[in-house]
Amino acid sequence: MASVRRTKSENLYIRYLILGSWALFCLMPVLWFLSIGFRPRTEIITAQPVYFPTFSMDAWHMIWSDWPMAKYLRNSVAAIFGSVVIDLVLAIPAAYSLSRYEYRGREDIGFYILSTRMMAPAIVAIPIFFLFRNMGLLDTIWALMLVYAAINLSIVTWIIRSYMTDIPKELEDAARTDGASDLRILWEIIIPAVLPGIITAAVIAMIFAINEFLFTLLIASTPDAYTMSVALANFTGGSDGLIYNAIALVAFLAFVPVFLVVVAIQKHLSRGLTMGAVKG
Amino acid sequence: MARIQLKGIQKRWGAFWGVRDVEIDIADEEFLVLLGPSGCGKTTTMRMIAGLEDPSEGEIIVDGEVMNEVDARDRDVAMVFQGYALYPNMSIYENIRFPLRMRNVPKEQHDELVRRAASMVELTEYLDRKPGALSGGQRQRAALARAIVREPQVFLMDEPLSNLDAKLRQAMRVQIKHIQRELKITTVYVTHDQIEAMTLADRIVIMQGGAIQQIGTPDEIYTDPANTFVASFIGAPPMNLIDGEIKDGSFVSDGIKIPNVGMQSLGKIKLGIRPEDCAVVSSDASHHHMTGEVYGVEPTGDMTFLTLKVGDMNVEIKADRDYRSDLGVSEKVAFDTSRLYFFDAESGLRVR
Repeated sequence: MASVRRTKSENLYIRYLILGSWALFCLMPVLWFLSIGFRPRTEIITAQPVYFPTFSMDAWHMIWSDWPMAKYLRNSVAAIFGSVVIDLVLAIPAAYSLSRYEYRGREDIGFYILSTRMMAPAIVAIPIFFLFRNMGLLDTIWALMLVYAAINLSIVTWIIRSYMTDIPKELEDAARTDGASDLRILWEIIIPAVLPGIITAAVIAMIFAINEFLFTLLIASTPDAYTMSVALANFTGGSDGLIYNAIALVAFLAFVPVFLVVVAIQKHLSRGLTMGAVKG
Repeated sequence: MARIQLKGIQKRWGAFWGVRDVEIDIADEEFLVLLGPSGCGKTTTMRMIAGLEDPSEGEIIVDGEVMNEVDARDRDVAMVFQGYALYPNMSIYENIRFPLRMRNVPKEQHDELVRRAASMVELTEYLDRKPGALSGGQRQRAALARAIVREPQVFLMDEPLSNLDAKLRQAMRVQIKHIQRELKITTVYVTHDQIEAMTLADRIVIMQGGAIQQIGTPDEIYTDPANTFVASFIGAPPMNLIDGEIKDGSFVSDGIKIPNVGMQSLGKIKLGIRPEDCAVVSSDASHHHMTGEVYGVEPTGDMTFLTLKVGDMNVEIKADRDYRSDLGVSEKVAFDTSRLYFFDAESGLRVR
């Protein structure tokens, strides 16, 4: 055949080109945030595009001096971290039970847990407001933790359950004949084996939580409980109008913690820890 | 030290019978092999001894003590699994140490015990590795070391060699038998491989459809099969089973006539003859029992498998190593008439 032959290195360049374009496409919003965030306000709303904007730290200084941004960030991190811890503490035993023990209605319970995500959040918004008001938890990060945990619990349980279902039953049988109790098996065998799944679930829960807006707005009424997502909304109204460059920077700041966490644990986000456990 | 008695064991899942009427008395230090095709209930029987499955009925007695209600982790058994079941997150050292930790063996003894078990299976240099970094044979040895480290009352092995290649399997077989004899621990071993069963066992239990077909030493199972299932399951190639009838003291079938089989007219019956008890005789020999056409010749080096077409059946014969022939050639065969077996055509039970 007289077709064109490509060398291996040419193939490699093409691959890099395609992947590079895709990466650029995905990163575009982030780059755009940064570009807008660090230019003067006057250069944002212009009829003609500005190809080489002036660098300006105005918005950066503003968000830290005019707003308690550090506090918002702290609230976000605390509420999200707390909610993920609550989720894992509840979801790991639940997932273990759903994946391993046989009992009547097991599948129904599994489905019921998942069904909590099928309803529009607005339906429960008012009851939740009254619930927290009666408990005296309105406008606290404790309430945010509980709400985020409740929203994510089902998805976290389901992800961990699917990883646990994949663990060969032989491993548990082996541990049991070796003399391990159920709790020991969970702690020493199952959890290490599903660690990638637990981390995956935790990251997904984090991303959901950091983007949560509706309930946060409902529960938080002062900066005591404002999170980054609600803080963002504060830049859209008021006498100053829309402060685009500040919004861009805050959005970027909300994105950074999740991004850092994902980068740090990237290698656990893929499966493969059970490799070599059984057969090979 | 453990004598295991299984009394009237039944295992049902709904309408499905996994195991029925299992009665086995396993002597202390015995190496007992449960042999049968997949789904015959052998693994279920073993798992009930381990406590991983509860019998629907019947008693499991170890040294006179009924174990039915004792949890798996409190039975002093160690199990080796088909898929090795090594803990993937722990090093081989930690894998072998795990049962010691779980059973509260004093910490200061751990290192010595782990190293001794590892050296018995020649795994000392791999103790720092994770299971994923070992080959299949090494993983199997690690699983074995984990079982022997605490010297349990009973070893249970569930097809431990079935994932290994043939050469390694043979080496591991010898090693398992050696270790069992050395440690003198009652062992129950499940396999579907008749060679493993024959070479390892003190006694073999042959199971099919959840029920025991025969219990006996390898010699008894081989030379004195109780029914056609046992006869055809043991031996490679398996025993030939030939439909025919006994008339006036002779067995007659298409192309086969054996006089004086020591039985009078019985009507329809199955004749069993092992391939090695058949001999090809020269075409002018007057003394022969069967005539057939050559269907296939398979030299293996130390012998030649000959398949003859007799009537509408194929009969396997182990011929001399230098036997060669062409397809369609007519051959005469003489049987060792002291090694003929007869089975009821309906029930498959041995007729003596």
